[in-house]
Amino acid sequence: MEIFFQVLIDGLVIGAFYSLIALGYTMVYGIIKLLNFAHGDLYMIGAFVGFTLLSLFTGDGGVNTGILGLGVVFIGTMIIVGFLGMGIERIAYRPLLLAPRLSILITAIGVSLSLEYSSMIGWGASYKVYPIKLPNDGIQLLGTQISFAQMGMIVLSALLMLGLRLFIDKTIYGKAMRAIALDQTACSLMGVNVHRIIALTFFIGAFLAAGAGIMSGIYYGTINFLMGFTIGLKAFTAAVLGGIGNITGAMLGGLVLGILEAFGTFYMGGSWKDVLAFGILILFLVFKPTGILGAKEMERM
Amino acid sequence: MKRYSIVTIGFILFLSLLLSACSSDSSSGGKNSGSEILVGVLLPVTGNNATDGKDMLNAMEMAVEKINNDGGVLDKKLKLEVADDACDPQTATAAANKLVSKKVVAVVGGYCSGSTLPASGVFHNANIPMIVAAANSSELPEQGYDSLFLINGLVPDQAKTGADYFNDKGAKNIVLIHDNSAYAKNLADFAQKSVEENGGKVIGFEAINPEEKDFGSLMTKLKSLNPDGTYFTGYYAAGGLMLKQFKEKGVPGFFMVGDGSYSPDIISIAGAENANDLLVTATPTANFIPGAEAFVEEYKSKYDLSPGPFSALSNNGVNLLADALKRAESTEFEALKKALKDTKGFEGIGQVIEFSEQNTLSQSNFHIMKVVNGEFTLEK
Repeated sequence: MEIFFQVLIDGLVIGAFYSLIALGYTMVYGIIKLLNFAHGDLYMIGAFVGFTLLSLFTGDGGVNTGILGLGVVFIGTMIIVGFLGMGIERIAYRPLLLAPRLSILITAIGVSLSLEYSSMIGWGASYKVYPIKLPNDGIQLLGTQISFAQMGMIVLSALLMLGLRLFIDKTIYGKAMRAIALDQTACSLMGVNVHRIIALTFFIGAFLAAGAGIMSGIYYGTINFLMGFTIGLKAFTAAVLGGIGNITGAMLGGLVLGILEAFGTFYMGGSWKDVLAFGILILFLVFKPTGILGAKEMERM
Repeated sequence: MKRYSIVTIGFILFLSLLLSACSSDSSSGGKNSGSEILVGVLLPVTGNNATDGKDMLNAMEMAVEKINNDGGVLDKKLKLEVADDACDPQTATAAANKLVSKKVVAVVGGYCSGSTLPASGVFHNANIPMIVAAANSSELPEQGYDSLFLINGLVPDQAKTGADYFNDKGAKNIVLIHDNSAYAKNLADFAQKSVEENGGKVIGFEAINPEEKDFGSLMTKLKSLNPDGTYFTGYYAAGGLMLKQFKEKGVPGFFMVGDGSYSPDIISIAGAENANDLLVTATPTANFIPGAEAFVEEYKSKYDLSPGPFSALSNNGVNLLADALKRAESTEFEALKKALKDTKGFEGIGQVIEFSEQNTLSQSNFHIMKVVNGEFTLEK
């Protein structure tokens, strides 16, 4: 039983990362029906910007950064990458909003490659080691060992997701986003500034991805310019699994995928975990194409 | 994404091939009849592996200089004729043909197995003996060429070195992990064989995706298996992360990695506190070889950098060839081949060279390295 809980915790940690990135995919898809394949790379950029800020602010390599300094770096990174996300939307996607979906999809792949290889030029191709190391202290719970770092990751991503849910449900901007997802033309006729709301969506998506990137850098310790590719693919899978376009679905999809992978690794072996996870995805798409939560909420987002 | 870069590299290589093919014609006409013996060198001196290639070339030039200062071989001076294989099979074949047309008496070199394989066939057909200094795919001896000699240990040797160390330390229950690359899988397969031959038991045979960072559930699984030793055969980026999570989860037993992870980066990625007692199966760089101090000093003073992982082997390769030429008393193919084959107890830097039936080392040159206080040290 202890093993069961331990594997569950392992799955939750990786699932939290998937969820945070899946949110960006699902929000953008919900609003403009675009699969933003560059999204995984914003996660990578977040990790690198955080790395640079940490190295800058704390001359000695960031070893003595307190919680406060870390918080400043976190927020700073997320805002910078958020604006980058907005910039990408302005330059690469907005001119193509009325073009066929395929053109904008190809553009997204182009943006993804540009981000990857400009990071390679800027930060180098080799693995960078994050200047901060988390202590390995933790507690015993139900016979499982959970480190404070793991708890922090899970709590932090839960808070970010909760904040997003509240933002979308309770604020006027959230209402505008939901409205645009339903009908763009009607929204602009009703005086909603559609472009601004779309830009805001990109900002929030990039903001969350950057948060996940910097968390991953601190938690795992290494970053490199291709780190966004695989996790972007997994997060996209999570978004589809949860029901693409559905915010709660993306959160749930990420956690489910993480837990599936963890149990796949444990009970079937490392080489089988992707077979298990993606096999279940295929079954879902065949028998319930809208994903776990897709059909329940008719309204997108 | 990957395809794109491969196409680009292929195109560039194609261009450079054209250029080198054009330039090689101008200075043909090899001469062994005069006062020089021409020795071919096949190495990647351009491209991704140029760093190691140049290290090897430096070490060969050092050996040649020393031999010539001591009076040369058969009253002649040795002279190196370098051909760049760029670690690419097509370029390597063209480079090998160039060396054949220059009428070299033998070839030393070979870094990437992929490019050494086709080149060795060219030399075999042209009756030119080749001493392979670094490349160590088991496919090389499997070709059955009797004039191809390998002085670097092969994958089975490495696997055996690791398994024997576990056995010596009483570690019987072993977990093997590879990263789905051909090399790492091959090493893990041989390690399984060696562990079982030693009477040990492989209690887990796992694979990871090297692009991922989270090995949490795998480490939970390992912990529940309670292994005496864990051997990861992949590369340092995943190896460092795995080592870190291995220690954080508190998995018991030794943690050992293969030579793909023999890099100081594995220590910085895992963190010095986690890397302590890390074991590596590798052919040590010259710095760690007892008795190689003079070589290391000379190399440093000459090139202003530390010898690379294959410098000692390359130096040994040239010296072995000189020794064989002296024993053969001729540069003629059959005599030289026989002299190389009959090598007995040739003492190079860090290895004693004798050949098995398949012209591979009869005595492995793999060692166990251990990390102590954040530095690699020679353990065994």
